[in-house]
Amino acid sequence: MSYTTIIRDDFKNTRRSNVVLGVIGILTAFVALIVYSVEEFHPDAFRALFDVSFFFFLVFPIILIPLTYLSVAGDRERGSIKHALGLPNTRAEYVFGKFTSRVAVAVAAVVVSTFVALVLGVVLYENSVDPMRFVKFGAITALFVASLSAIFVGCSTLTASRSRAMFGAIGLYFLFGPFWFGFLPVVSLTAVVEQIADLLGTGVTDKTLNYIRFSSPTTAYLSGLEPVYDGVIDPEKYPQVASNYAGDADGYYDENWYNYLTMTLWGTLVLGLSYARFRIAELG
Amino acid sequence: MTAIETSELNKRFGEEVHAVRDLDLTVESGEVFGFLGPNGAGKSTTINMLLGFLKPTSGSVEVLGYDVTKESLAIRQHIGLLPEGYEPYANLSGREHVESAIHAKNADDDPDELLDRVGLDPDDARRPASEYSTGMQQRMSLAVALVGQPDLLIFDEPSSGLDPDGVALLRQIIQEETERGAAVFFSSHILEEVEKVCDRVGILTEGELVALDTIDNLRDQMEAGATVTAQLDTVPDSIGIESVPGVRDWSTEDDTVSVEVTEPEAKMKVLRHLDDAATVRDVGIEEASLEALFDEYTNGSVPEAEPPEGGQAEQATAAAPGGGQA
Repeated sequence: MSYTTIIRDDFKNTRRSNVVLGVIGILTAFVALIVYSVEEFHPDAFRALFDVSFFFFLVFPIILIPLTYLSVAGDRERGSIKHALGLPNTRAEYVFGKFTSRVAVAVAAVVVSTFVALVLGVVLYENSVDPMRFVKFGAITALFVASLSAIFVGCSTLTASRSRAMFGAIGLYFLFGPFWFGFLPVVSLTAVVEQIADLLGTGVTDKTLNYIRFSSPTTAYLSGLEPVYDGVIDPEKYPQVASNYAGDADGYYDENWYNYLTMTLWGTLVLGLSYARFRIAELG
Repeated sequence: MTAIETSELNKRFGEEVHAVRDLDLTVESGEVFGFLGPNGAGKSTTINMLLGFLKPTSGSVEVLGYDVTKESLAIRQHIGLLPEGYEPYANLSGREHVESAIHAKNADDDPDELLDRVGLDPDDARRPASEYSTGMQQRMSLAVALVGQPDLLIFDEPSSGLDPDGVALLRQIIQEETERGAAVFFSSHILEEVEKVCDRVGILTEGELVALDTIDNLRDQMEAGATVTAQLDTVPDSIGIESVPGVRDWSTEDDTVSVEVTEPEAKMKVLRHLDDAATVRDVGIEEASLEALFDEYTNGSVPEAEPPEGGQAEQATAAAPGGGQA
């Protein structure tokens, strides 16, 4: 079975390059640091997950880039792809095998760091810890990193050089993260949409803007974390958490299933379309 | 069975680059075919089309009876590839590369046996491939290519980086594989490597096949190009050398006469003739090498050299293969 050949080779090769250890190590260290620091201000461990989720949203994609951006582009640049595709491996097995190997590492990093967060939560925090909240957090975050990994591996599939793959991945990170989320008020997707609407002499409703805002995998991730805080959203005690997760909006964009679907669709679409191009690409 | 058959195969990259032009080629089972040409002649482009890495712009390619555009997977199941200029997976050992091929082909080879056959030391075989010298990497790639007893072996510049022992081993392996019935498609820019192992040779230059023949026939052309030179006391006005059978062309420069002969026996006849006509102070014979012939082909100066029929001397305008100075 050659799908497993690709996964096995790629996993061994990646693991020995220390990038696996790097990704899992850095992520776990940061998460532990956040959980440790938050304890000073809050007695509930789930409150730390709120800060951790912003770290996952904003910083983890940058850690994920070195793990994924060369997955296919690097092989094409170095010519190693001739080994894999000179053998009876299909291009589908090759691309999806690469994705599987890399996403396994990303998800492992999420699992390990979430587990460490749980242990620290139990040991350090004053109030009792509900492990289910951590399990939910880990599962939703795993879906998020899978979606991002698919996007980055897809991007890598479209290029045959290291530099393009790098710029592509960083560009996608800014597009789907800070730009879409509106980290800088002026340089944001919703600001651009409003500008365009203005120029056309029309307006955009808040509801439409919210649909747009929550249609990136990263914003969908943040929104989709709602079940983690199920039943413990207290506006008095945790105003930040409440402002993000309390209340019901008038639209699907606020629904959890819609958020999970958004993440899944982005990953599937980008990787799928990239593969469709790679399938007929000229190699060599 | 036919191992490779291309018909009017063309590959263009954009408007400008016509990398392979109307290539018609047939390689039979059990045959060792040398695919020669300088770097950039279109050899790798052709091989990439055989493997399904590149799509032909027009024309057809069949490998082992399979259509490359539709049945690439079946082709790769039955061929062995030694690719040119690639980096193996840096952190996988040579042995793991071979295992990868065994796994992908669902073959039952013993990786250690294959590695032993290509002369890769067992300790080296377990080191990461990034630490390999070019020669070790070539041996590893050779072992990968041999997995699953392929019906066709495609070797792209296999001798690069190999030491003389490695080259000898490569030759031995090629012989063993063809005895088993496999065809070998051997691409190289160095003629010497090819002439010792190949039954037939195709010379590609600027995407076009300029020669396609057996080594023996090419050798016949080579003999046509031997040059006899003689330094004479004084060059007589009329030497009458063109009357000697087997002479194709001759010229004089100062006191030296250069005579191109088409057959070996003509050399002595030329010398006797000159000795009769003048006092010979020095002689030299230069056997035009296949190398020189190859150079001339790839430089495009001998597009239509035919094996001469012997006897009659021809006009001095013909470009002669290997017509160098002694």
